[in-house]
Amino acid sequence: MALKERPKPFLLPEYCKGCGRCLDACAKDCITLSDQINPLTGLVPVELDLTNCNACGLCMDACPEPYGLRPAHEGEIQDFELEDPAKLFGVKPCDAPAPVDLPSEVLPLPRTEPLVIKGTYASAIGAILAGCRHVYGYPITPSTEGAELMAKFLPKLDGTFLQAVSEVATVNMMYGTAGAGLPTMTFTSSPGFSLMLEGVSYMIGSELPGVFVNVMRGGPGLGNIAPEQSDIKLACHGLGHGNTQALVLAPSTPQEMLDLTMLAFELSFKYRNPVVILSDGYLGQMTGKVQLPEAMVKPGIPGWAVYGDAMHRRNLISSIFLTESDLEVHNIHLNAKYEAMKVEARAETFLCDDAEVVLIACNTPARTTKGAVQDLRHQGIKAGLFRPITLWPFPVEELQAAIHGADRIVVVEASAGQLEDEIRLALSKAGIRQFPELESVRRMGGVLPQQSEIMAQVLGKKEVRA
Amino acid sequence: MSKSSVIYDRFERHSHAEGLKGHATHYCPGCGHGLAHKFLAEAIDNLGIQDRTVAISPVGCSVFLYYYFDVGNSQAAHGRAPAVALGHKFANPESVVISYQGDGDLASIGLAETIATAQLGAPITVIFINNAIYGMTGGQMAPTTLMGQISTTSPSGRSQFNGQPMKMAEIIAGLDGPIYVERVALFDAKQRIKAKKAIQKAIQLQVEGRGYSFIEVLAECPTHLKMSPEDTEKWVKESMEPVYPLGVKKDLTVEPWFRRNPPSFDGEKILSLTGATSEHPIRHCQGFPTHLALHDISLKLAGSGGDGAQTAAMLIARSAINEGFDATHIPSYGPESRGGTSYADVHVAEEEVLNPGSPDPQVLIAFNAPSLAKFGPTVRKGGTVIYDCSVVSDAPDLDPSIKVFPVPFTGIATDLGKAVVKNIVALGALQAATQIFPKETMLTAIRVALKDKCALIPLNEEAFAWGIKSVEALGN
Repeated sequence: MALKERPKPFLLPEYCKGCGRCLDACAKDCITLSDQINPLTGLVPVELDLTNCNACGLCMDACPEPYGLRPAHEGEIQDFELEDPAKLFGVKPCDAPAPVDLPSEVLPLPRTEPLVIKGTYASAIGAILAGCRHVYGYPITPSTEGAELMAKFLPKLDGTFLQAVSEVATVNMMYGTAGAGLPTMTFTSSPGFSLMLEGVSYMIGSELPGVFVNVMRGGPGLGNIAPEQSDIKLACHGLGHGNTQALVLAPSTPQEMLDLTMLAFELSFKYRNPVVILSDGYLGQMTGKVQLPEAMVKPGIPGWAVYGDAMHRRNLISSIFLTESDLEVHNIHLNAKYEAMKVEARAETFLCDDAEVVLIACNTPARTTKGAVQDLRHQGIKAGLFRPITLWPFPVEELQAAIHGADRIVVVEASAGQLEDEIRLALSKAGIRQFPELESVRRMGGVLPQQSEIMAQVLGKKEVRA
Repeated sequence: MSKSSVIYDRFERHSHAEGLKGHATHYCPGCGHGLAHKFLAEAIDNLGIQDRTVAISPVGCSVFLYYYFDVGNSQAAHGRAPAVALGHKFANPESVVISYQGDGDLASIGLAETIATAQLGAPITVIFINNAIYGMTGGQMAPTTLMGQISTTSPSGRSQFNGQPMKMAEIIAGLDGPIYVERVALFDAKQRIKAKKAIQKAIQLQVEGRGYSFIEVLAECPTHLKMSPEDTEKWVKESMEPVYPLGVKKDLTVEPWFRRNPPSFDGEKILSLTGATSEHPIRHCQGFPTHLALHDISLKLAGSGGDGAQTAAMLIARSAINEGFDATHIPSYGPESRGGTSYADVHVAEEEVLNPGSPDPQVLIAFNAPSLAKFGPTVRKGGTVIYDCSVVSDAPDLDPSIKVFPVPFTGIATDLGKAVVKNIVALGALQAATQIFPKETMLTAIRVALKDKCALIPLNEEAFAWGIKSVEALGN
């Protein structure tokens, strides 16, 4: 059998940057630097004289450009004409098939008796029922029980729980799994969430789904591990750099920890955007009655994913748009998406129909406030509770309906007015200028507003703080 | 060498392939990245894994890896490529994940991810381009910059005050996680052949599920070293190689181990993990215990860590929910893992617990003197206080409307041979003192909680009975 003839090199001067790395690779001195500037590129390509070439191929191995020195196949050199690169290299940029969307399935579950579990567990079980089998996390009080339950359950479901080296690594593992098109989540608490924000910005920029359960604790800095509504501002207006927004859900019972976690996955995939669940230290630890749903989700693989198979080879997960006009178009697209998310606004109203005093609260303070509303009603005061379930987008239409006819509004929160700022911003953006002066009951540092303080504010008494 | 089919036929992502950009890389003349790209593409081609490959583009000059590679592409934040790689690998264990990183990315900002991922040992492949300088930001000092080397942030040359160059291949090889670590170079034909082989082997090991591999490539950056490409090759050989010796740093023979089943979506299995059951619990209550409160009963259990206050609180909540009521339990601990304070706020409501905190409980169970002293005065008028008189000698004076039950929780439990059942004694006392639920309701909750430790059920039943008897013996 005759030896296969080795091809000699050929070069399209336009694709040569003239680095000269091929020069000393050639034992026959066939390649020389030139001083002729190529008019198309402004670079100085090397010159080839293949008289002595023995087709050793080492020059091609030394060329850093994929379309630089290449093997000359029969015909190419003789008929060489550089007019249309497509003629030489083909027009198809990629022969990978068009990506396919493998839809998720909803599977029925038998009806069961309610569980008696804590909020973080309820959220973890919600995530599992939403089809999440990839959880990454870094231990941080008071959120850790969620990760612990995942570490226990997921291996039994052939899922993955990986304890990352930090919150920074956590969010980037989520980025990878979300990039592959699968549901993923983490449990964290305020300082940990701060650390994740870089990655959250990347996920939003790359349009990746993912669920962040932030069991908020007292801040700033290391603060403490007691409940505070410390991250409303961060979640609603500070998700890392750039024009970022995400749906922010605020549960107030262990049941809602499960329900809203399941909803978060659904919305996260619907909008290809992270969803933040803001819980608080009490709610994470609180045990209560939790009814499991009667259906669960088996996730598919979205058409946009980079799963690592032929069907998705064409795809790219990226947040870089080097050309300014491209990045502007991308930002316009993202903002249109944020605008579309506004239909997801949700709120609960309790006795607001005839309320003269509307109290506004979310998370655990909303429960305390609900207790206060009931006691105020017993005292003959027409009080009502407005509880935003989505903090972003803020349910401003529902709020407007709830405060219609109220002559007092009292905002109850475990922060220095972060919830109040959301209310003010939402009212302002909705063009609502006429509303009663906002009164407030605020505690910070891990102390929650007490029912007695709320009552005292409404009844106009001064209460000595506990 | 022919252009690998793994390289796109046209670089559409490179400025929309305008002009010559459809077929020319964005790299400067003489840059080592182009060669590393070609060798990587060739390896993917040779191994027949193009469809399965996910390439992670880093931040740095090679941020645009995805311009060129016709594989699944994911672009990571600066330094985070290994974490992103793990996210992809665990999402699809069949994928072949390549983390391609430069020296700023891998050896500076991403060190934590680099080391932790290497030590984890999951089969991914890291290609590390070491050119001793920051390229994309314009020639600043890298962790790999040589001593004396001038950069824009070490204008007088790297000195001791900038620290020593990082020898990543040696560091990675020193970890237990990786199975294959080699440092290669691109400066002559011989080294290029070795580099090709090393890159292919590193990916092969991943394809076979054997483990993590790391290839450090000494590469040329003529632009920022301010040298001709030829001189840069020489510089890498003469100046870099002595600091970063080439060769295999680690090569273990490991049997394939990375096999993962597809995740399970078996509903029954999930329900059994959560402990959910379709069985209706038998109800014993005739109605809500309105003799304690009309709609909502507030309790507090307080003691030290280990007293079992939280378990007892949980059992009260379970009893209530089994009876069709609502209940909540909020634990609160001191910072100590053991032995600190441990309080539990419990609410039982006919329909919905509106306010789960118990700042002024109707019922207090105190396991020690400080707890009794702290919370006794908060108990509402007409309320109930039950405390462990084995450990509390002097009870504080409480409002005369409060019913007080001194019960020797610890004494009884110790007599039964297990001090840990003192919380169950307390629950018995609670049942007898308040009639909050029928005995059988609480015993059922106790038995269910002990379903995996059946042998302990008789002891707990006895403890519960003794709690009841002690209260009855008080006769109030």
